[in-house]
Amino acid sequence: MSEPITFWYGCNVLRHGDIIRSCLDILRALDFDALPVGGPDYCCGTVKDSNQTTAGGMATRTVDRFNALQREHVVAWCPSCHSHMHDFMGKANDTQFAMTYMVDLIHANRDKLAPLLVHPVPMRVLVHRHIGFNEHSAVNQIVPELLRMIPGVAVVEDDYLVPGYMCASLLAVPGAIDDMITGTMGAAKATRADAVVSIFHQCYRELCGLEAQGATQVYNYIHLLARSMGLAYEDEYKAWKKAGAGAADLIGAERIAKVGVQFFERALLPELKKRPTTGVR
Amino acid sequence: MTDKLSSEVPPEGPPNLSRSAAAHAAAGARMKAFQQSETERILSACTQCGKCFEVCPMTGYSKAPAGADWKNADGKTVVGGVLAVLRREHGSPEALGWIAVCARSGVCVPACPENVDPLMMMRLARMTALGGRGGEKQIEMREDPDYFNRVRAFAKLQLSDDELKRWT
Repeated sequence: MSEPITFWYGCNVLRHGDIIRSCLDILRALDFDALPVGGPDYCCGTVKDSNQTTAGGMATRTVDRFNALQREHVVAWCPSCHSHMHDFMGKANDTQFAMTYMVDLIHANRDKLAPLLVHPVPMRVLVHRHIGFNEHSAVNQIVPELLRMIPGVAVVEDDYLVPGYMCASLLAVPGAIDDMITGTMGAAKATRADAVVSIFHQCYRELCGLEAQGATQVYNYIHLLARSMGLAYEDEYKAWKKAGAGAADLIGAERIAKVGVQFFERALLPELKKRPTTGVR
Repeated sequence: MTDKLSSEVPPEGPPNLSRSAAAHAAAGARMKAFQQSETERILSACTQCGKCFEVCPMTGYSKAPAGADWKNADGKTVVGGVLAVLRREHGSPEALGWIAVCARSGVCVPACPENVDPLMMMRLARMTALGGRGGEKQIEMREDPDYFNRVRAFAKLQLSDDELKRWT
């Protein structure tokens, strides 16, 4: 009988419907009855450092929602949500569930995963790793291990670690993202990697611009697991990013109308047009 | 593979979600108490040896406010400024500059000989310096007024109406 779990995907990964869908398929293939929840209504509150009353209210609401679902395990995708639950939310609220991080759950079920990875993915990859978060989950060790289970994937060895716990933590620090791009591209070139593979969605979002520039291929580790399993969800975010100013044509007028043309042009299109500065360290 | 879930959140949301304002207030009070307790523990345990500052990979990014002698700052002094922020006092420019660039790398945690948990120290200092725990705002953070609306908008572009209803 499938174990019921709550799959807490977070907020910003909603830019990547293909990642959410692939995660769900993977969890089901590993025999979990996964219930996906996320978005602003399930915010952990970590984005509200400047207002702890608001942050606390968000945390309590989200914990209440998880308790009401009456599932013993919440599996987090987002490292911010996972660490905020561990460090703060769980300290002030009565959590009636255990927390697990997605990478750890997949790794714990790798014996079930292995026979599902049937399609070769011939690719030499550099894993984009951060220094932080590994005290919560040893992702820098586990993700390469999972990728090596995919037929055809070769994970290159490199000692480049990006400061912070994911690229979101660098965005507010002038120069830090530029240095991350320079360091990552330098490592990719030095190791002759075909692709850079992110662990977290937010890093993927920042790195996607590199593929748009033709600098390197970029994936999230879930993309490669999904491809080897034969899952074929289209990565629309990357397509839009590569299209840049032409993204509206790919998205189509009907979908843009759902968010409003003005909002799309003011708040979404600049992100899709944004390109990183590249360089070799 | 199918995208149909074997179980779903009811359209009206999870069941039994009603919580009284008093219960929410109690949770808020517990959060404040936890943060205060951690603050007092850190203030009591930290010896200002400066090891956390020395190993931090982000110090070079500090744009300390005018008047800061950043290049000659030493860890002991900077950490002292961080502790001042935790005591709700004015932080030194060097301390505020460091707090502003903390990216939660966490290398400070094993570097600390007193098990202070400098990562928690910096998180609480950041919340405090931003005015998030009451008191004076000492550093600025660029807040994105479109943050949640952007998330909702991308969700509308990426998910089907049915997925939006069931998954968010």
